[in-house]
Amino acid sequence: MTEGRANVYKLHLLVLALVAVTEFIGTKKINIGIGVIALFPMLYALVLGGVISWPKFKFLKEKEMNAAANILGVSFLLFIAKLGANIGPELPKLLGSGVSLLVQEVGHIVGTIALGLPVALWLGLKRESIGATYSLDREPNLAIIVDKFGANSAEARGALGVYICGTLFGAIYMSILASLLGSSGLFHPISLAMGAAVGSGSMMAAATGSLAVIFPEATEDIAFYSGAANLMMSIVGTYVCIFVSLPLTQRLYKWLEPVIGRKNASTTEGGRRSA
Amino acid sequence: MNQVLTILLIGLIALIGNWIGYGVGPAESLPGILLLAVVTLIGMGFTKILPFKSPVIVWISLFAMIATSPIFPGNAFIAAAIAKINLLALATPILAYAGLSLGKDIHLFKELSWRIVVVSLVVFTGTFLFATLFAEIVFKIQGKF
Repeated sequence: MTEGRANVYKLHLLVLALVAVTEFIGTKKINIGIGVIALFPMLYALVLGGVISWPKFKFLKEKEMNAAANILGVSFLLFIAKLGANIGPELPKLLGSGVSLLVQEVGHIVGTIALGLPVALWLGLKRESIGATYSLDREPNLAIIVDKFGANSAEARGALGVYICGTLFGAIYMSILASLLGSSGLFHPISLAMGAAVGSGSMMAAATGSLAVIFPEATEDIAFYSGAANLMMSIVGTYVCIFVSLPLTQRLYKWLEPVIGRKNASTTEGGRRSA
Repeated sequence: MNQVLTILLIGLIALIGNWIGYGVGPAESLPGILLLAVVTLIGMGFTKILPFKSPVIVWISLFAMIATSPIFPGNAFIAAAIAKINLLALATPILAYAGLSLGKDIHLFKELSWRIVVVSLVVFTGTFLFATLFAEIVFKIQGKF
């Protein structure tokens, strides 16, 4: 919080300009054959913001980018307040979907491991795979891993890798995924809305945004159920991560690594050695 | 004080977005934006005065739910005012700030192997897909849809 005042205002002004321009452009839907991709203001804002902050242009200083990341966290809180205000008037509806809320949370928790760990081991990752796949690896999860294994551990390297990818293209990816799953016709918008509450502000905003564009008639429901699922995640998330997800991933790693893992250890530092 | 100003500025930006993108005039949006700001600030303050660490999101959600639920005086007005603020108008500033912060991680990304990039995408897919699938199965069993 040592950023000078002037550069914080520069960020707010840039965001104001981005919001004004992108909201003016509005929503577009593009059919790409395998499904519909929703393009909407927040995605343009993300991409244009990324271009503005591209290091080569030297338009923003590193500390301004860090300040933007902090303000991003604060702006998510207003979004959360809106989601909560959407739930209040229909509280009984929340109790009516208690079971699915609980069960979908299990899906959020095991989903990263069930899909991620086998792939990570198959690609030849070693202990990095534990940190990389035990959770979505946002800030709190990163802190848990560093606390347990140390900042220079293989586990922390894996977690940091997924964290960086999440920051850079998690939101874009989630919005494409939400668009494709939404237009596939396999799932009800309410189930997708719960799925969208992945525990990361930007990813959740992008995923719920896509769903709202794909299912304009269900916008209220989407806000309601993603809000409820997100609340569930924020209540149980950290504890489950420490006491369930991490031990579970470590145990599975012990079982699966000898079966799927590759003989030649390769590490996440491979950027310098290979590809 | 700093946080209060930040929240109000973000609220102002969302108000303008709600006007340009969703045709809701500033005067019509103002009460809703202010109420959202108040709930958010109360939640942040409450998290700070609690003797133990807890996620601020939980308290903000809870206070927003209480303020709009039938037990709270003036709930109908509060809910109606906040309903005027389009969800997407609040989400666009989030991703605009996210965009402006991207540059700081690009040099870190260059150090990563392609493997971890693939694993990341699989991890993102896994959490979204499994939660959606599980919710769908429960709703189907319950016969809700």
